[in-house]
Amino acid sequence: MSDQRVFARYKANEIVTDLQNFGVKKFKSNTTRRKNALRKIIANLTLGNYGEMSLLFSELLKFWQIEDDLEVKRICHEYIRVMGVIKPQQAKEALPFIMDDFKSRDEKLQMMALRTLVLVPLREFSDQAFDCIISLVNHKAPPENVTRMAIYALLDLDEIDHERVLGLSSILHDIVRLQSSPPEVVVAALHSLYSVHEKNANMEAFGISLDLAFNMLELLPELNEWNKATVLEILTTSVVPQHYLDANEMIELALPYLQQVNTYVVLNTLKFIMYLLNYVDVIEESLAEKLSNSVIALLDKPPELQFLVLRNVILLLLSRESSLLRLDISYFFIEYNDPIYIKDTKLECLYLLADKETLPRILEELEQYATDIDIQMSRKSVRAIGNLAVKLDEDSVHDCVAVLLDLLEFGVDYVVQEIMSVFRNILRKYPNNFKKNVKELVKHTEVVQEPESKNAMIWIITQYSDIIPNYLDLFKVFSSNMFNETLEVQFSILNSATKFFIRRPTKETEELCMDLLKGCTDQENNPDLRDKAFMYWRLLSLTKMADTSNTLTFEALKSVIDGELPLIEMNTKLDPTVLEELELNIGTIVSIYLKPVSHIFRLNKTKLLPPSPVLNPNKDLLPVVNNSFSPTGANRNRQNSESQSSTKSRRTAMMDDYDKPAEKINQLKGKRKSSSNNPSKLSRKPSTLLRKLSMKRPFS
Amino acid sequence: MSSSLFILDEDLEPLVSKNIRAIPNLSSILSSFKQCYHRGSPPILSQNGWFFIHLKRDFLHFISVIHATDKPNIDLMSILTFLEQFYHLLKKYFEINVLSKNIILDNVLLVLELVDECIDFGIVQVTDPSIIKDYIRVKVNLPKVPIESDEWSSDDESSDSDSSSEYSDSKKRNKKKNKKKKKKKNGKGKNVGKSKIKSIMVNNKENKGNNVVETVKQTLRSKSNTGRNSPDDELPNDGNDLYINGDIAKTIIMPISWRTKGIHYSKNEFFLDVIERVQYLMDFEKGVIRKNLIHGEIVCRCYLSGMPKLKISINKLLNKDPQFMSNSKFHQCVSLDSINTIEEEGKDSDDSGSQIATDTKEIEFIPPDGEFVLCQYELKRHVKDAPMIKLQAFEVKPKPKKFKIQIVTKIQTNFKPTNSTSKLNIKIPLTKVFQDYKIDLSKQIRFKANLGKVVFNLSDDFLLWEIETMKGHREHNTGTAPQEDNASALASMVAEFPLFNQEEYDRMQEELKTSMNPPPLRTGPKLEELYKQVHEERLPHTHDVAPRDKLVSVDFEIPYCTCSGLKVEYLKVEEPQLQYQSFPWVRYKTISDDEYAYIV
Repeated sequence: MSDQRVFARYKANEIVTDLQNFGVKKFKSNTTRRKNALRKIIANLTLGNYGEMSLLFSELLKFWQIEDDLEVKRICHEYIRVMGVIKPQQAKEALPFIMDDFKSRDEKLQMMALRTLVLVPLREFSDQAFDCIISLVNHKAPPENVTRMAIYALLDLDEIDHERVLGLSSILHDIVRLQSSPPEVVVAALHSLYSVHEKNANMEAFGISLDLAFNMLELLPELNEWNKATVLEILTTSVVPQHYLDANEMIELALPYLQQVNTYVVLNTLKFIMYLLNYVDVIEESLAEKLSNSVIALLDKPPELQFLVLRNVILLLLSRESSLLRLDISYFFIEYNDPIYIKDTKLECLYLLADKETLPRILEELEQYATDIDIQMSRKSVRAIGNLAVKLDEDSVHDCVAVLLDLLEFGVDYVVQEIMSVFRNILRKYPNNFKKNVKELVKHTEVVQEPESKNAMIWIITQYSDIIPNYLDLFKVFSSNMFNETLEVQFSILNSATKFFIRRPTKETEELCMDLLKGCTDQENNPDLRDKAFMYWRLLSLTKMADTSNTLTFEALKSVIDGELPLIEMNTKLDPTVLEELELNIGTIVSIYLKPVSHIFRLNKTKLLPPSPVLNPNKDLLPVVNNSFSPTGANRNRQNSESQSSTKSRRTAMMDDYDKPAEKINQLKGKRKSSSNNPSKLSRKPSTLLRKLSMKRPFS
Repeated sequence: MSSSLFILDEDLEPLVSKNIRAIPNLSSILSSFKQCYHRGSPPILSQNGWFFIHLKRDFLHFISVIHATDKPNIDLMSILTFLEQFYHLLKKYFEINVLSKNIILDNVLLVLELVDECIDFGIVQVTDPSIIKDYIRVKVNLPKVPIESDEWSSDDESSDSDSSSEYSDSKKRNKKKNKKKKKKKNGKGKNVGKSKIKSIMVNNKENKGNNVVETVKQTLRSKSNTGRNSPDDELPNDGNDLYINGDIAKTIIMPISWRTKGIHYSKNEFFLDVIERVQYLMDFEKGVIRKNLIHGEIVCRCYLSGMPKLKISINKLLNKDPQFMSNSKFHQCVSLDSINTIEEEGKDSDDSGSQIATDTKEIEFIPPDGEFVLCQYELKRHVKDAPMIKLQAFEVKPKPKKFKIQIVTKIQTNFKPTNSTSKLNIKIPLTKVFQDYKIDLSKQIRFKANLGKVVFNLSDDFLLWEIETMKGHREHNTGTAPQEDNASALASMVAEFPLFNQEEYDRMQEELKTSMNPPPLRTGPKLEELYKQVHEERLPHTHDVAPRDKLVSVDFEIPYCTCSGLKVEYLKVEEPQLQYQSFPWVRYKTISDDEYAYIV
């Protein structure tokens, strides 16, 4: 039946009547009915109807005793897990039943029980959980699934009772060291150890020996995708290469996993390799290429994943002076159907990728976005153009400015606002290059609306008053309306008026300045503005009296109010230690925010590159070479006979294959040929029949 | 490492909630998510110390919640990837293409169980549908009216080309056969299970009576387990659990985690489809190609017994196509170093001059059972590579004297002449035309096309030109213009819209007023009124034309052809123990991506 009727809020007693339908007759229909009642409980828990549902506790316990059905058990366990937090006293009553389930022979039931034990945060429950885990570990041939789960359960128990988990950690160490358990269990043990070390601030960072690391890397092909990723994740920072060759060999072992479908595996491989690159002497050109390709391939994913990848691209671009990645900018061009967050991030990437060569193409794209219908997008792209102008060197500025002026002609309101704001930055960096364009800019004085662009306009008018003949008229557009402006605009109006007066103390400027000062001190309520006005006033009056008491000369006043401004710089670089940490956290939450871990998660440890004799002090100095040196050759000398033998065996296998003729493929083209009839004919042959019969036997 | 998982519907109401780390009040968490979520917010949000990682698919939100103090180093990528995989897992499980609220509600318990299976204490373990499907055998509670799913599957079949319908037929038959076989096998399994018990009984007769009782109990329990799978429906595979689960329980742990032991098919077949989606975007006015990409996929369906080892060789690999080598992704079953080490060996052989041939590149793998994607690749095409379907001409010719406007469209194919399209639709936007010109829909619209037919979509303002089959054509190197006789490779279409004629209209009105005749009778739908009706709501006409209204988009499908020229050279199936005869089938298809368009 459909469960939709089930999914509604119920009162406890309604469900109780359903549950109590213990007829001896019509047994089957009653079971389904009761089961439905149980489903209703789960639905209500999902809806957050805890109060009512907690009343059903005793009813549920009755069921637990009677029913042997897995589904009923599952519901009961789920119920305890949710209710255990809310009603600890009642949950204790269920403990014996959970233990019964654990002692059963069914793996599924055992796992269910263990999960419940761990998830209910009560002393009694976790005590039992520990006992269970210990009994499992001591068991001679424990079922692997349960063991694996038990090991993962330690992770959660660690939060409850750290000391006891530490006591068990020697067992985990043994599992990892001996490597005799199934690979999945080994990975589980490794993961638990790693996480326990990571989680507790008082424990030193988890480290594993080189031999073990190589063993784990050799194990990778046998693991499923999630475990592959886990191993690669753990190895990052845990294993410390002691020689260039170690690092090179590990890179080589990890490299194929850049080609996995699973994004998580790829990103962790990337992280691992980036980490190891701190310990190599040279970087091969082909490696850089492979890394770039895998990043590009990751961009072809659903938007959410793409977002994360893009954020990490930013991180990787920032990480070195000249980035290791060779990314073509066209991958970062914005599509009209991209979600907003992708568009933003792509803009950021484009900004970072821009250099002399790519600038023309990027500008062309940005100009197109600027005329986009999406207002936010077009503003952001104008801003990006402006930032590029400031970021790049003097040659490129002219291109950027040309684009901006083109857009200015386009004359859409919000674009103009944005252009004004960015132009101020450009003029602050290159005060003398664009004097002739200033006149063009001030034509738009009437149009600017937003505080930021008004500010920018006022600044431009003030700064270039010597080349604008009608600067006072332009200025009065703003000053006449001063008391309706936002605070920041008021500040800059006041500031500019004073500057005008100092530069050219004529009657007109004096009047303007004094009017504004008076206005601000008399009428304005804002203390900041009033104080600022008073300050200017005092300064001015002090200078006037300068003849008698030499407190302040006119030159000094000028330097205070109308001093030289420092040139601005665009600073996109992060602190190197922060970068180092971020690079070790590729794919995690911090890579989204690009902030150190401690800023986002206060309790977390900071990951740092572990020291080693071969750690590169400055990775920007690392040469990227074009295959001049083959690490593979050198590797063979290393005493890792295992890897060598495995490649050897592979090689021989290949040779065998080469002799064999390739099997033909049935092409499905056109009409089906006689080949399709073959199977029936063949199956009638006695030999095939025999084979068929023999195949029917179950494989053990 | 999530603290809890939610599946929400469109209105952010919870459908499924899974408390992974025993958080007291899940609903409060949900309300803080509602506070910070808005349309188009990035996939990660934080509010009140909670981090929300969410994914929106098919109107459902998949959310994973993490507390800021929870665990170190939140591995965002694992969570996002997991959510994505979980979504696919659900789709596979329910065997539908689009998840809906109702299907989730119908199967809450199943979803919870799947979560339990996929993650242990927040750590992802396995998400491979084929494995979990063996492990969790709860019957999916599908709506009782199975029409929908049937429709979907038939759609799927019909999307295959006509000429390959035979193939699909055979496939269907095979599937049926397989099902039958499975049933048989199940029956057998049951028998075996029983006989096993018997043998145990015999063996233990003297020794341990206890043991026997226990085993019998176990079987009984597992039987009751199968019983609970479908309380009101007898299961065809009754007793199956006992036999299969014994093996399968270990599969997650086994070295080859994606394939179980004991798979058997009477006819061993392997289907391999190479499907290439071509993405192409060209600015037709400026003649600039914006995008020219191929997204390729090798999809396999494996119905092979035992533990077969497959070797596939692809011409791209043989030729060491550097682009393919670097932009391809493989399924987890592929032993990646079989692709990469050979490369190395090739290098070595160059150095040492040994006999190892460099062209033994192949993909080596033990396939999972059933359907899977073996390989995904993305190739960039050169700018000079002509598109598969090329827009030769697109012109809007107003003829004010005749009060008519003509839209002329010509397309040309560019692939092997032996192939032909099985589907070819061209969508021509009219929004701009309707904005720029006053079109009189009361008069007749005329279409002329040398191939296919033209349909006018009134509500969304576009013409759909449907050409079903069109032959391939290769431009010769001489670069001469295509000859006129090669008409099948060049399709042209002219659509003629009447323009509003003020003079005539005035005259008509005048005539109507003065004459006694009733207005001329018109048959057929009155397009102008319909048009008005449809477009009334969007009256505030902005002069900007949305970008998608400027695209002439092409939707096509070409069977037996790969755009990139990828070819499977050979496919070997080896099963050392069983040594059966197997039937590998290979098929190619090129289809248009969602974005195959010309900006005009």
